[in-house]
Amino acid sequence: MKHIKKALKIAALALPLMVTNACTDLDENIYSQLATNNFYNNREEVLSAVLRPYTHANAWVTPGQDGWWRLNELSADQLAWPVKGRHGQDGGRWLRLHYHTWTPDDDFVWGAWRLMWWGLGLCTDPIQSLEARSAATMGITEDEKAAYISELKLLRAFHYLKIMDLYGNIPTVTAVGDPVSPPTQPRTEVFNFIEKEILDNINSAPVLSQSMLGRMSQAGAYAMLVELYLNAETWTGTARWDDCIAAADKLISGQAGGLNGSAALDPNITDTFKPSNYESKEILFSIAYEFQRANFTPQWPGDFYHFQQRFIYGGGRNGNDGVVVIPGVYSTFADNDMRKTEWMLEGPQYRYDDPTQPVIASGGNEYDGQPLVFVDNIRKNKTLQPGQDPESLPSDMTQGEENSGVRFNKYKLGALEDPDYNGTDWAVYRLSWIYFAKAEALMRKNGGNATSEAVALINQVKQRAFTAEDWASVQYTTGTLSLDELLNERGREFIFEGFRRQDLIRFGKFTTTSWWDHKPSDPTKQLYPIPRRQTTLNENLAQNPGYN
Amino acid sequence: MKIALLKKVKNHDSAMNLSLNKGKISRLSLMIFLWLGTAAMAFAQKQVTGKVIAAADNAVLPGVTVVVKGTNTGTSTDASGNYSIELPAGQDVLTFTFIGYTAQDVAVGNRTTINVTLSEDAKALEEVVVVGYGTQRREEITAAVANITQEEFNQSGARNPMDLVRGKVAGLDVVRSSSNPNTGVALQIRGITSITGGQAPLVVIDGIPGGNLDLLQQDDIESISVLKDGSAAAIYGTRANGGVILVTTKKGKTGTASFEYNTYFRKEYVRNQPDFMTAEEYRAKIAEGVIDAENDYGSTTDAYDALINHSNLSQYHNLALSGGGENTTYRASLYYQNLQGIAKENGRQQFGGRLSVNQTGLQDRLTAQINLATNFNRANLLGGGGWEGSLYRNPTLSFYNPDGSYFFEQTSTNELARLAQETSRRQQQTSSFDAKLSYEIVSGLQASIFGALQRNNYIDGAYQQLNSEASLESTDVPVGSGYAERYTYLRNDYTVEPTIQFDRTIANDHHINAVGGYSYQYSVYEDFRAYNSGFVNDIFEENNLGAGNQLQEGKAGMESSKEDNTLIAFFGRVNYSFADKYMLSLILRHEGSSRFGANNKWGNFPAASVGWNIDKESFMESISFINSLKLRAGYGVTGNQDIANYSSLVTLGGGGVYINPDGAYRQTYGPNRNPNPDLRWEKKKELNIGIDYSVLENRISGSIDVFKRRTEDLLYNYTSQLPPFVRETIYTNVGAISNKGIEIALNVVPVQTKDFTWNIGFIGSHATNKADDLSNDIYKVEAITEGDIGGYGALGQAFRIEEGGKIGNFYGKRFAGFDENGKWLFYNRNNEAVPFDQINNSTDPAVSDLAVIGNAIPKYLASLTNDFKYKNLSLRVFMRGRFGYDILNTMDLSYGNQVALPNNLLNSAFTKNAALKDTYQYSDYYLESGSFVKLDEITLGYNFNLNTPFIRNLRVYATGANLATFTKYTGNDPDYVLTTGIGNEINGRRLGIDVRDPYPNTRSFLIGLNVGF
Repeated sequence: MKHIKKALKIAALALPLMVTNACTDLDENIYSQLATNNFYNNREEVLSAVLRPYTHANAWVTPGQDGWWRLNELSADQLAWPVKGRHGQDGGRWLRLHYHTWTPDDDFVWGAWRLMWWGLGLCTDPIQSLEARSAATMGITEDEKAAYISELKLLRAFHYLKIMDLYGNIPTVTAVGDPVSPPTQPRTEVFNFIEKEILDNINSAPVLSQSMLGRMSQAGAYAMLVELYLNAETWTGTARWDDCIAAADKLISGQAGGLNGSAALDPNITDTFKPSNYESKEILFSIAYEFQRANFTPQWPGDFYHFQQRFIYGGGRNGNDGVVVIPGVYSTFADNDMRKTEWMLEGPQYRYDDPTQPVIASGGNEYDGQPLVFVDNIRKNKTLQPGQDPESLPSDMTQGEENSGVRFNKYKLGALEDPDYNGTDWAVYRLSWIYFAKAEALMRKNGGNATSEAVALINQVKQRAFTAEDWASVQYTTGTLSLDELLNERGREFIFEGFRRQDLIRFGKFTTTSWWDHKPSDPTKQLYPIPRRQTTLNENLAQNPGYN
Repeated sequence: MKIALLKKVKNHDSAMNLSLNKGKISRLSLMIFLWLGTAAMAFAQKQVTGKVIAAADNAVLPGVTVVVKGTNTGTSTDASGNYSIELPAGQDVLTFTFIGYTAQDVAVGNRTTINVTLSEDAKALEEVVVVGYGTQRREEITAAVANITQEEFNQSGARNPMDLVRGKVAGLDVVRSSSNPNTGVALQIRGITSITGGQAPLVVIDGIPGGNLDLLQQDDIESISVLKDGSAAAIYGTRANGGVILVTTKKGKTGTASFEYNTYFRKEYVRNQPDFMTAEEYRAKIAEGVIDAENDYGSTTDAYDALINHSNLSQYHNLALSGGGENTTYRASLYYQNLQGIAKENGRQQFGGRLSVNQTGLQDRLTAQINLATNFNRANLLGGGGWEGSLYRNPTLSFYNPDGSYFFEQTSTNELARLAQETSRRQQQTSSFDAKLSYEIVSGLQASIFGALQRNNYIDGAYQQLNSEASLESTDVPVGSGYAERYTYLRNDYTVEPTIQFDRTIANDHHINAVGGYSYQYSVYEDFRAYNSGFVNDIFEENNLGAGNQLQEGKAGMESSKEDNTLIAFFGRVNYSFADKYMLSLILRHEGSSRFGANNKWGNFPAASVGWNIDKESFMESISFINSLKLRAGYGVTGNQDIANYSSLVTLGGGGVYINPDGAYRQTYGPNRNPNPDLRWEKKKELNIGIDYSVLENRISGSIDVFKRRTEDLLYNYTSQLPPFVRETIYTNVGAISNKGIEIALNVVPVQTKDFTWNIGFIGSHATNKADDLSNDIYKVEAITEGDIGGYGALGQAFRIEEGGKIGNFYGKRFAGFDENGKWLFYNRNNEAVPFDQINNSTDPAVSDLAVIGNAIPKYLASLTNDFKYKNLSLRVFMRGRFGYDILNTMDLSYGNQVALPNNLLNSAFTKNAALKDTYQYSDYYLESGSFVKLDEITLGYNFNLNTPFIRNLRVYATGANLATFTKYTGNDPDYVLTTGIGNEINGRRLGIDVRDPYPNTRSFLIGLNVGF
């Protein structure tokens, strides 16, 4: 045993000798990532953090992922993602959106929640970081610091507004990680919180100008107020029509700035959606893209484009052949309405590079090897027997083929040779929408009847879609512009823009009416459920009614 | 490593020299026998001569004792292994004995020449097993340790060293995804121990933890030890949850300088091609009106076969020289290997060498050991894929246009053109250098320092020609302007380990062996990637990236990154044995990793095990049929740190570029992770009880181990409260999973005669697992889903792990038939058949219609080796299987469905699945039993006994590998479906989910030669 003791003694003596600091140092060295605690040291770093939530907003505010856009459009009466042959089953997710049969477990319910709160955190984190540091240490002026914080708080309010639009009763949190399990606030409280955040910060934020392209400014903030007040009656029970009109007037009068001079309606129905729409006068807040130099490109082709779309427009991007216009919607556009042909694709498609040649479908789907023809119906035309009436074929969410449905063509990516190709900005708010909101507020204040001012507002927007000779017969009068007609015209003007569910709810039609393969659902479906994975984790979250 | 080999003396000039270096026992016995032999000559009746060789390598054995049975007459073999003995009248049997070898009795009969082959005695007392930071005598081992030596290795030509032990160790699952020479294997011991962390065992090569398998060639490996349970593996603490595989390479031996040359040539053939329609079958469907006539493009093409390299031939050459004197031994080997895949443009050519030098000095107190190994690899990474696209490609579509140019179209890839018009190559060098200096301070006490550097670097190059499909269909850069890419990677792993060892036997009966030490490991990698387009011709390829013009246009790119991590440990082990009867082993490792949270950098990993050699007890003396019997029990705690670097820190991640006020787009940064300063090890606690036995003259031997293990503090990306956190997940330690099972190793020798031996080796294991916990006070999940099914239709995740449930459970809809229109019907929770849109997909078990519909983890693994030896001829038949599990047949799901027409489809779309007229659905309809038995290897070998001093041994053999698979599974070969892990994708495979892009399953034939001179 002596030897053991001796050995242990030597070991015991030797080991500590080897233990210097270097020998037990387990600090991590970070080489190609950035550590949070060593950032915001100069203007570029500050700006890179301030701009982070915008690239993220691309994910949830535009089509392409489970976010605000998809949950608002694919549950409403204009757009759907039907099963098309072997494509689009996708676990039944698109059917459940269309049928309003979602549950707290649905991945899109969680997906939108996840993306939007994440984006909100990307606002709060730099707000806290900027507030905790002096302007001097960040190499910016006090005014710049205040402007950045205001911009971020307004952008955060925008997140809250859209989360509230979908989920209604939600927590309000202003610090990352604190409190760990924040409680649900009633929607009225959330509404008041958002309103206060906007009003507190609107004046210290920059007005809109070309240098604020793609960012939240006073223009975006007033647009938020318009949206907030337009829906105030639905969301809080208290109508705010006058506030809505006042906020809209700020924008219409150009007091909040404009992207290119004072904000104004674009002169036609294409300028707002073209590849160079950074030149638009009416866009108030957009997600800005740029492909040629920056390779930051819109994500929506995935949702809208056919597998062979690039041959139609001469660009390089195709899609998943997903979202189509629900049968019956296309025909609500008058044939002389230029929006019908300019914003949608229907019928045989021809090659961009040779318009005499049809686009041939390939890729092993129903019309492989045959000309691509988008049809205004969703049914298995391929199975039609000679002499059979096509109308006798069933038409529902599961009966699509690769060419079913009229397609999106509102925003244009441009052809490859276009210098702005693939960089078309996505307008979150545009002035036409403000015109419609103000007109609606005026009408609702007036017992649901049009006023001449309301008619003028709508006509100014609508007139761009018709030729001069057609215009006289299609323009609205106080006699023809009913609230229902206003909703219909909203549908035509703002198709694909993400507001349809909100509009239907405001007009009391979202859960009470039928359209195509959709039947009336339960009033509780006007709110999405809180994702189950959050209600199981945070006991302070209350589930929305109807989902327990 | 077997010390027995060191002790055997092959090469002295004469038998009399033996006394110089041999142990006392053999020297004494030899002299007695020599003397007795001389004395016996007077009565000689008959002269018998012959040669004795070793079974393992046919090497001649000098110094073998040859005795006339029942007498004192004896002699021994000379340096060439020859002997000559006078057989007295009335005697007929000679007994051949040699230390470390099984004694053999031979009846002489009328013969005057008796050549004998002696086999190494597996139960020899001297057998020692590498256990990490030292060795242990087999007899004293108290943990579950398997040791595989070269003779047992698979002989089908290893693409990866772990191929050698596939099916050889009970409880070790080695899964190949294919015979692609550029893919490795997935390894797992005793079931799943982690969901998000690594599952793989720690590989230690000659003491280098985290050893790179590329550095091992099959003929340079002496043995492979597997530490299966925590009581042995705890010495490697934080990396030992998956077990430890210790590889020992061959070293030089004192004696005559010798050469060994090993070679093989291998040819592979496609064994079964997925049953898609041929062009003829496709046209028949057109004739039936099932497919539109316009889909007949007039050609007849087998696009899958077009990618097959029918002229493949792989070869391997390894030349080793070894030897040494009293104070120095050396071994050097050089090899060349050219592995050609069954796919075109898919191969790996490598050469390299390994050098090992041992020297003692300072009156034998100082020992130095140096190993150097390097591997140069040139891999062709272009081919080996594209199978799925080729299978569903219209078989009437040609690869060519009428003018002979390649036919391209948007939605598919012309794989034949791709192979001709693109390149993708890797040039890699992997090296290791290690040295160990040991000094004996006093007798039995030794201080050592070990240092090692492993370096892995490679440079990749890829090019797409101007007229390649990728280039012509490019939309981001000018059409037809080519694409070139370079990628470089460098990784260095440094290890420094000072240790002190103590080994002493006190008062005859107390054997103490102890080791203590410190370990510092630092690992760092850096990489760089650049690419460009806009080339005017194909001259430069990737060798002049600046020649493209897209850098100016902003469409070229570059990326680089660097990461490192550090592991530091203090460790110690004490082994004590009393009278070879009672053994005790204690281990403690205190280890820290940079990867964990600031509050939990360090952990302790203790282990204790005991053993009892029952056969040594006096009460066993009367039980003669038991040769050895040992009972072992051990308990150990190990950890898992196989997670990404920086997992505990909040880092700012790039969020993509966005417009700045000046109109330029610049990178944005935001937090990309929720912080977790408490992040810590996954910790496994394991209890193992085992028996080692050998009975009936060692004719039946083996071991049985039962184990129970539980991994706690399981790491998972838990959903975090959102709000208030930025990200929706936090990587944190919450759950626990447990495994229990039994492992059996059995060796039976039913026949053992002079000329014929039949040896049966069986190993089998059974394990079950359970997810014990998935939640704690803060983080809760009802279930974890894993296993993205992929493919068309976004079918979601295949697996669901629930508390109390099994891991690997397939969770989904239950098939109830098809309705009159061929639409899917599924059972709801009330067992009513309903259409799929009435199925409740909720994760809430109270309302969900989804159910557990299968399990992907085999309940049983087994293999059976039959070795036959008849004279110089040997035959091995090796079978292997996995049993009691399910596989999701994604090939049938995706391509056995007419909805995908007019693509080419599996014929099952019109036969087995003919009733189906609906789109893709995941349900138990596509789950099939994966159980299989594979005839994995048949090897026929012949040892030549050449009576020449120039050749010591010569063996030729032929091996057929992957000859047949017996299974009811209708998809690809179930053997290639991953049965390990659950959360991680390995080699592009996921647990239990078959692939739609199967690398061809091959049958291979190999001819090999081993020669020593």
